[in-house]
Amino acid sequence: MYLLTDLLTPILKRTLPSVALSATAFCLISCGGGTTSETEEAATPEESATTETSTASTPEPAAASSDDTVKVGVLHSLSGTMAISETSLRDVLLFTFDEINAAGGVMGKKIEPVVVDGASDWPLFAEKAKQLLLEDKVSVTFGCWTSVSRQSVLPVYEENKGLLFYPVQYEGEEMSPNIFYTAEAVNQQAIPAVDYLLEQGRKKFYLVGTDYVYPQTTNLVLLEYLLSKGIPIENIGGGITEQGGQVASAGKYTPFGHTDYQQIVSEIARFAASGDACVINTINGDSNVPFFKEFAASGLTSEDCPVVSFSLSEDEFRSLPTKDLVGHLGCWTYFMSLDTPENTKFKDNFQKWLAKTTVSGIKKDGRVTCSPMVLSYNGVYLWKAAVEKAGTFDPEKVMEALKSGVSFDGPGGTVTTQSNHHLTKNVYIGETQADGQFKVVQSFDSVVGEPFLKGTFK
Amino acid sequence: MRTVLLAALVVLLVLKPFPSFAEEGAVEVREQLADAVTAPEEQQIAILAALADSGDEFVAVALTAWRRGEMFLIDHDGAPVPVLLENADSKEPVRGFLLRTGEVMADASGKVLTFVPKEQKAADTSSALRKQIKKTIDLLAISDSDPENRASGVLKLGLMQRPEYFEVLKQRLAIEKDPDVLKKLKEGIAVSALALGEPDEVVASVKTLGELRSIAGLDSLNNIIKTQEELPAAEQNAPLLKEATRSVKVIDDYLAWVDRAGTAFRGVSLGSVLLIVSLGLAITFGLMGVINMAHGEMIAIGGYSAYMMEKWMTAMFGDGALQWYFLVAIPFSFLMAALAGLVLERSVIRLLYRRPLESLLATWGVSLILEQLFRLYFGAANVQVNSPDWLQGSLVISDVSLGYNRMFVILFAVLIVLATVLLMAKTPLGLCIRAVMQNRDMAACVGIQTSKIRMMTFAFGSGLAGLAGCFLSQIGNVGPTMGQNYIVDSFMVVVAGGVGNLFGTVLAAMGIGMTDQMLQPVLGPVMGKVCVLIAIIIFLQWRPGGLFAARSRSLD
Repeated sequence: MYLLTDLLTPILKRTLPSVALSATAFCLISCGGGTTSETEEAATPEESATTETSTASTPEPAAASSDDTVKVGVLHSLSGTMAISETSLRDVLLFTFDEINAAGGVMGKKIEPVVVDGASDWPLFAEKAKQLLLEDKVSVTFGCWTSVSRQSVLPVYEENKGLLFYPVQYEGEEMSPNIFYTAEAVNQQAIPAVDYLLEQGRKKFYLVGTDYVYPQTTNLVLLEYLLSKGIPIENIGGGITEQGGQVASAGKYTPFGHTDYQQIVSEIARFAASGDACVINTINGDSNVPFFKEFAASGLTSEDCPVVSFSLSEDEFRSLPTKDLVGHLGCWTYFMSLDTPENTKFKDNFQKWLAKTTVSGIKKDGRVTCSPMVLSYNGVYLWKAAVEKAGTFDPEKVMEALKSGVSFDGPGGTVTTQSNHHLTKNVYIGETQADGQFKVVQSFDSVVGEPFLKGTFK
Repeated sequence: MRTVLLAALVVLLVLKPFPSFAEEGAVEVREQLADAVTAPEEQQIAILAALADSGDEFVAVALTAWRRGEMFLIDHDGAPVPVLLENADSKEPVRGFLLRTGEVMADASGKVLTFVPKEQKAADTSSALRKQIKKTIDLLAISDSDPENRASGVLKLGLMQRPEYFEVLKQRLAIEKDPDVLKKLKEGIAVSALALGEPDEVVASVKTLGELRSIAGLDSLNNIIKTQEELPAAEQNAPLLKEATRSVKVIDDYLAWVDRAGTAFRGVSLGSVLLIVSLGLAITFGLMGVINMAHGEMIAIGGYSAYMMEKWMTAMFGDGALQWYFLVAIPFSFLMAALAGLVLERSVIRLLYRRPLESLLATWGVSLILEQLFRLYFGAANVQVNSPDWLQGSLVISDVSLGYNRMFVILFAVLIVLATVLLMAKTPLGLCIRAVMQNRDMAACVGIQTSKIRMMTFAFGSGLAGLAGCFLSQIGNVGPTMGQNYIVDSFMVVVAGGVGNLFGTVLAAMGIGMTDQMLQPVLGPVMGKVCVLIAIIIFLQWRPGGLFAARSRSLD
């Protein structure tokens, strides 16, 4: 059991003058701006204490695990701009560890989490990963949200032969020997969503997103896919940039934190004037609020021109005007509204855990579950199954076991690992309801995750 | 002013009556609707398709409620029956009307029952069903009594290019009187005819679409040109191709004008947003010379004030308050931010007037502290502020869409600039402010309490930032970092406009807004923004003092 309060007392005694005080003081002034360097202390004192335990404890020579515990890393942003999304994953991971420990642990060993804060700072993610692997000698890490943070830690895991589970939908075109992607690949989110829209008789697609690697890559794949489905190129909106005869970028992109969507929405209104249009939205984070407010204000409705969003799940709906989103679509491999015994059990246990957890900094009211959370949860159980299959905690052997195929009946249906480091899982398409939940309108069973899609549609 | 606002308020409240679910609707229509709600999906679709030519406006009312998840299934005589609630947005218990009969729900003893909408089960709608609902409402729109609905309805039907609607539309042509609807009807028929009509009818329709400057028909016209051009020359329909090319050109020219007008409007509206966020800074930085890095947090205080006001007003006066809370929130957010500015001035800035670099650092620290306080008190996630209905939707004038919230921001910007200018130029306080800003020691000599004046000026500047936050809550996020998004923009506007000159600030805000909107369609939002920044850098090289270089005490 990793009760933080228990850990806290001895450490506070040892380090109170130097660390805890400066941490608290610094926290007040520095964690606000999402600025770069002071991030180490930005976590709440308890969290720094967890980090502190691991560094302060005498490094154990080779074995990743002592006699009755196994160390597991949690690498998410607990401060900065990504904290809103990533703290939920930290919470669900801690819950999963407790659940597994209560049921006897992994091969008789209790999981001992080492929580570190990536602080929405991509180079810091690599440093923290190094710390987890070299100092704490964790057997496995669960972490990262943005593609750029994953790409920043990738060399660290490859160099040190670690094992990372990555839980958030991403653009594909990657398969590191040291990363297992429980995330949705493009063919488990974007492609089924487009299939659904085509089936609904949509003929014009407008692509809009935030300007970074995930939307850009996804939209290029989608462009190829739409063309292969016989959609003429003039029916794909948002603009296409060509470089040297090759399409370099498809769709309209805005910077992170963009607030003025007048021009883009008026373009969409024009695009949709002749009917049967839809919007594929890969805008990330805050900017969705002004986008959907402008969209609703322009008089466009979800019947005239539905928007399918790939970065909005139940967790994000907590801070969005759901009234403006009703009827628009989402596509994930899990919805909170799924009515299965596994999901009910998962939701109940998570709420019970939230009610009684003593870890500080965890928000207890109004919590929801969403796909990245469930994929984190599935990841821990798949790792447990693989460890038991391999009979060792050694990351390389565990990865071999994962590649040979293990299954887990998760809240979103059964997931099975594949030899290409991805998962076979169910995909659901849902319409947003006024209460911030999805109502499933179509589901695809056991879709095989395929990371390399570029150039495969002819 | 107050009477005008009150009058506007009354009009708004009267304009939004509750739907009268009880009386309307013919008996058989109500029966059919009630059957539809509980039937299996295929039957639902069949019933709704049949209801399309009922001509009963109640059908649209009931179906709209259903589509929005406001058709509730409530137990009555032992079985769930479809019920419409008096006000489906209410958090309080409200009366329910049986869909089948229109009766108010009551228990066996005749006591009226009430229900909390949130706790009731809404009738499900699948996507296919919603589509049929929409289609039925569309078809009903042909006979709708409101010309606006009728106009959009007939055009949508025409765009579908389906034979069954084509006939319905042609029949309507004979009896339609309203000129606006007639125009849309002709447009719809012409678009449908492109796909369904006889050859000479097609040519005539192509011509009609050009005359009507039909944006909706542009795609179909382009398709005609494309298919004709792909044919071998001998098989081409020359008159059709010529007519289509001409019509497309006419429409394209028209679109260019629409775009220009739209861009101008959007530029002014973006400029107004920039102006509102930077006006406060133009006072505190421009006039007083205080580099206030916490300006963004003053904006956030305004945003959170609007949020709190919405919560309090709806808690005290029910959901009706959503329509007018914003008018209360405006002065409230001004006061809250002004108060915060006052405290900031007295506690920090007062001590650092002659040390701009230290005040930069200190106010930056304050901004981080405030941001963290928002996080502690309101949570790290953004909060939602609901907009009143009268700020939603848009006015469309010859295809240029003017959003009500955007028109409001422009009006708002004009009002606060006027108020600020009047305050500065026409009041004794303004006179004192100008005197202190120009020469503090001299002002003190003639008996002005300079310390008090500076305090009030700073509070006023902060209050303006609060107003900005209050307005931004209607078009964007309210969150701990909302101020950070605007702080750079506002410094940019004030510096480009010329520090210490309000008129310069106005011009710079409009200029930046316009440039941004004009570059966006050509270069995209990312490159557009980069180009605006480069343009400002070059501009400041050329005129280091900004548009209107001014000399002020602090800059000497």
